[in-house]
Parts: sequence; C-alpha cells; structure tokens
Amino acid sequence: MLRTRRVSYLEGLRYQGKESMLAWVLHRITGLGILFFVGTHVVAAFFLNAIGDNISKSVTLWYESTPFQIFIYFCVLYHAFNGLRLVVEDFYPPVLRYRRELLWLQWLIFLPVFGLPAFLMVLSLFSGSA
Amino acid sequence: MAQGEPMQVKLKIRRFNPETDKKRWWGHYQAEVEPTDRVLDALHYVKWHVDGTLAFRRSCAHGICGSDAMLINGRNQLACKVLIKEVGRKITVEPLLGLPVIKDLVVDMEPFFEQYRAVKPYLVNDDPPPATERRQSIEERERFDDTTKCILCAACTTSCPSFWARSDYLGPAAIVQAHRFIFDSRDQASQERLQILAESNGVWRCRNIYNCTEACPREIQVTQAVAEVKREMMRRRV
Repeated sequence: MLRTRRVSYLEGLRYQGKESMLAWVLHRITGLGILFFVGTHVVAAFFLNAIGDNISKSVTLWYESTPFQIFIYFCVLYHAFNGLRLVVEDFYPPVLRYRRELLWLQWLIFLPVFGLPAFLMVLSLFSGSA
Repeated sequence: MAQGEPMQVKLKIRRFNPETDKKRWWGHYQAEVEPTDRVLDALHYVKWHVDGTLAFRRSCAHGICGSDAMLINGRNQLACKVLIKEVGRKITVEPLLGLPVIKDLVVDMEPFFEQYRAVKPYLVNDDPPPATERRQSIEERERFDDTTKCILCAACTTSCPSFWARSDYLGPAAIVQAHRFIFDSRDQASQERLQILAESNGVWRCRNIYNCTEACPREIQVTQAVAEVKREMMRRRV
C-alpha cells in the first residue's frame, strides 16, 4: 500500500485531544529541540575545522547562552521523563487505567528537577556570573 | 440551560457535495431543541426542517450500531450519545478525519474495514467442533471482555495522530479486534495475528496518545489493549 499522510498537521492540531495529546505534542517539540541543539553543535564544530573559528565562536556563544541552555535543559529533561513514563506504560499495561495520575506524577517530579537548576541559572545570569 | 425547555442552538456543519462543490464549505443553521436532546436530534431538525440535502449516517440512534460517529466540537463522538447540554449552544460538526468524504458527514469506511480485515477478526480453530460448545472458564472469558464491546464506529482510529500520519497504519480499532482473539483461549491463530501486528504498520506505531481511549463511545480501554498486545509480543518474542 502506498504510504501517504491522511490528515494535514494543521487539521490534526485542531483536534481537541486532552492532556495526553498535549504531552505527545510537547514530546515531539522537545525532540526537535534536542535535534536542533545537536545540529548547532555539529555546525559549530564544522565551521571550526572547515572555515575558520569566527563563525564557530558566534554559534557556540549563541547556543551556550543562558536562555538557550534553559531551553535545551527543558527539552532533554521533559523528553526523558515523558519517555520513561511511556516505557513504564508499555511494560506494565494495567497502569494505563491511571494514566492521568501518571501524567501528574511525571510533572510532580519534573517541575522541581527542572525548576530549581533553571532558577539558579537565571539567578547567575542576573548576578553577572554566567 | 433549563431542563426540558426548547432552545435555539447554532450548528456549523462541514458540507461537501462531490457533484456540485469543488471545496468543502461550512453551512450555518439554527435548530430548536431541548437541552436533553442529542446532537443527532439537532441534525435531524436541520435535515427535516431546514435543508433536506444534508447527508449523514445513522441507524439505531442509541449508541449501539456506531454509524453516526463524527467530529463534534473538535472531538470524535457518537451524535446519538452526546446531549445538547454537554456541548452548549454552538455546535460544530465535521466528518471523521482521515477517511474520504462521500458527501457532507458521510465518509467512506472501506479503508477502515480493510485494516480491520487484515488482522483476521474471527475465531480460528481447526480442531473438530465438540458435541456441545467450546468451553471457556470465567477467567478466560474475562481476559478479553473489554475488547468484545467494540462497535466498529471508527471513532478511535480516526482520532489517532499515528493514523493521520500514515495511511498504512492498522489503527487502534483493528488492534482492539486482534486483542479480542489473541487472548481468546479457544483461538489458534494468535501467533499469526501477532506477526501481522509486529510489522512496521502495526502496534509499534502507537505513541500512547490516548485520543482513542477518550473517543471510544463504549469506554473500551483502547490504549491498554494496544499495550497488552505489545507486552504479549515481547513475552512471545515475536
């Protein structure tokens, strides 16, 4: 069978899925975020060796900036926690009856693990030590 | 919304007639219904009193046949099960996503049934039939009780982003049907079904998004059934 897309992205996003659909959308966005980070890293390394280190330095400066570091920290951490939740669900299907509780538990663990270091990063940015 | 009092609701219905229209368009209608009426009653009102050309499917009108599954206010639901008081005075109705539209709210279900047939949704047992019946304990029957409730309305499959993304994905309804027979102690083709579902268009396309479970009008734990099939595959190393 020829493989085609049945529903466009825009039409699909109009569907009123609940929190699990949002979790999945966020999983995709954070996955792309990680891919973007790895991409900039590769680009910086390429410029360093191939062209010269001015472009490399500016790319590195950009992805090492605090806002981008916080963004990438969010992406990696969310993607990992959400992925772990999916692994647990696949290995122990009976827990799927408590999917909402599992999702809340995920956020309950995620928020302090993300929030505290992110807060410290912002703090060091404003104190000028970043 | 006072119970039992007639009220006006605004319906926005996605229309398409392949004989006259090049593109789909929105039809706007008013219907007089009661809060305890169903969305199907509002559609009937439009068809019988406002515009007789409106096309939609319905048969039993009591949530059993599954023929009036449609996208109501952005979610797949059966028009005969959703009450007006649950959706408010502004109602948007569209055909199911991902299936070819024949006319207005009527979609071609054949791609859906093709995927359903792919998992061999029938009992396979080559042993000679016993004098009475093929007996089963209460526990053995309980194992697949949830998935026997499926009415093939396609609400789950057409709410699934993995189904939207890949036309060859079997979809949750077909997996639910496979589950019903894989865990049936009388069946002898479970290995064959698991092999079909282990293909790249099978259960591993499921991303645990739960739209299917939320959409199922029979409250089948669809995602759990899919996960149980995945677990069985891992157990049998298929």
